[in-house]
Amino acid sequence: MRKLRFGILSFAHIHAWSYARVVKELEEAELVAIYDDNPERLKKASETYGVKDTYTDYRELLKRDDIDAVIITSENAKHAELAIAAAEAGKHMIVEKPLATSLEDAERMIRAAEKAGVKLQQAFVMRYHDATVTIKGILERGEIGDVLVITTTNHGKYPGLWFGDPELAGGGAVMDHTVHTADLMRWYTGDEVEEVYAVIGEKIRSELRVEDNALISLKFRKGVIGSIDCSWSRHEGWPIWGDVWLGIIGTEGYIVVDAFRSCINLVVDGKPLTWVYFGSDCDFNMIRDFVRVVEEDKTPRATGYDGYKALEIALAAYESSKKGEPVKLPLR
Amino acid sequence: MALIGCGFIGGVHLGSWKRVKGAKLVAVVDIIEGRAKRAAEEYGVPNYFTDYSKVLEMKEVDIVDVCTPTYTHAEIAVAAMKSGKHVMCEKPIALRLREADEMIQTAKKAGVKFMVAHCLRFWPEYVAAKRIVDEGTIGEPRIARAYRLSPFPEWAPWHKDRRLGGGVFVDMSIHDVDFLRWALGDIESVYARGGVLKTRDSTAHDYTHAILKFKNGAIAYVEGSWIQPPGFPFTTYLEIVGTKGMLTVDNHSTSAVRIFRPGAPTTDFTPVEEDAYYKEIKHFYECVVEDKEPMVTGEEARKTLEVVLAAVKSVEEGKPVKLPLGGEVL
Repeated sequence: MRKLRFGILSFAHIHAWSYARVVKELEEAELVAIYDDNPERLKKASETYGVKDTYTDYRELLKRDDIDAVIITSENAKHAELAIAAAEAGKHMIVEKPLATSLEDAERMIRAAEKAGVKLQQAFVMRYHDATVTIKGILERGEIGDVLVITTTNHGKYPGLWFGDPELAGGGAVMDHTVHTADLMRWYTGDEVEEVYAVIGEKIRSELRVEDNALISLKFRKGVIGSIDCSWSRHEGWPIWGDVWLGIIGTEGYIVVDAFRSCINLVVDGKPLTWVYFGSDCDFNMIRDFVRVVEEDKTPRATGYDGYKALEIALAAYESSKKGEPVKLPLR
Repeated sequence: MALIGCGFIGGVHLGSWKRVKGAKLVAVVDIIEGRAKRAAEEYGVPNYFTDYSKVLEMKEVDIVDVCTPTYTHAEIAVAAMKSGKHVMCEKPIALRLREADEMIQTAKKAGVKFMVAHCLRFWPEYVAAKRIVDEGTIGEPRIARAYRLSPFPEWAPWHKDRRLGGGVFVDMSIHDVDFLRWALGDIESVYARGGVLKTRDSTAHDYTHAILKFKNGAIAYVEGSWIQPPGFPFTTYLEIVGTKGMLTVDNHSTSAVRIFRPGAPTTDFTPVEEDAYYKEIKHFYECVVEDKEPMVTGEEARKTLEVVLAAVKSVEEGKPVKLPLGGEVL
């Protein structure tokens, strides 16, 4: 079997490490080369995954004919440059979320991929989590009637690194944590958001340069009501990084998804309780599906357009909070 | 003391009044005679009436506990105060601010105690959460989350009329709003989304979520649902995150007791000898006897009412609503 040959463009985003692990694990994939603009991080990744071909210039990596696809896991603001270059080099790609930090960049990325005829898959791993996939089936079969309300949270700890740098991240918790559940709501309803109202709270961590908590209220075109708590509101010592939680009210039932609640309670003497996750490996599912999409020339389950629409909701949340009023979509 | 309104909450209150040392149940009132009679028998109350004015005429009655549907609160409470009775009234205080104002002023003029039964202020986990916030353990509160989910309260069909019960946010989320005001302080503005999403023949909103902005900069998400499927166990959740830490609590994972029976929904709860209703009622009794100010004054309850009414207004107008409210909503 021919393996799909991967390059990883940057290990800046924490998810890069998990994706690299998956590419190594997948029989149908191979991790060929890695790039990072941070030599120290590049060295660490090279050693962790045993990848000898390392680059500090992504153009050199993209020149290689023996690489089919790249995973772009740089800082958010650098996605566009890397993705457009990858498309022009004819590489299929998975782009970490959020797709970009502006709708203009997002659109340029989508157009570049279209023009080059390469796949652009948005890394909405939550569309590949076995819990959310199971619920997608239940909703499609109408098992709880029509969906009326979807309440969601994507709580987290403060991720540190560059996530607090407004230039590199494009924002704080709203930019980081709105898109996953916004996308799930779009996926479940098959509908688009019509109106966004959001309030950004005063910082939990006063030293941050970006917001770390916010509340978002959504209305979909066909009337479904949604909400997102995208806050980095988990303090150090909370037993897990955060959550992806959905309460879905239907005309004939109610569903709760607590996607990362499947955990073992673990205590090491003298240290606080931690939760050790044993549930669905959505990163694995996502990259395996990407390989299939490329091999069979299919459309990704989460496309660049899905990334664009979720980003639009996050950007509308910023605008709404600033104006103190609901904001109508589309933004442009 | 006398209790008016022998429905669900009336029964709960009667059981608690029965246990308060020094208090004596003299009369119960319900417009349905059979219900008044049954309550009198069950709790050993010597008199029962279908007309509340009868207990207002009784000299031996010092306290009146108003447990009637919301739309009758103001009329009954005001009449009781004018008869010189101390009044404990179920939440919401009323449905209109002018009614709340009249209740507050009448109590003052009559020189009687007046408390609104916002029971979360006596509920063990909420009392503990408030203490943790007050002690500064989690620093300055920044973001809170509270919800209360239930099927439609079919046992009280007047809830389907928005002008009688106010809807889910006014009737049920008022608990969370009052608690959050108690723990985090006054509220500056409210944005809410919701409506009549599922319940047939209802003019009252059966689902509402709201984003509250507090004067101290904190924000909160409050969600109230009456559109859970039949048999859904009543569910509450509270989370408060501050600059130094956070707390969460819900009513299921913390239950001390869980009961499974064939053909019946699982029930779970945390029995405590001095439950919230008993503490609430004992507190009001002590306020009367010892001439103390009640935990939830009319003014406090009015502030809470103003917030839930603002949420109704926001749902209907599609815009955030700043407090104070300019006029009536319902």
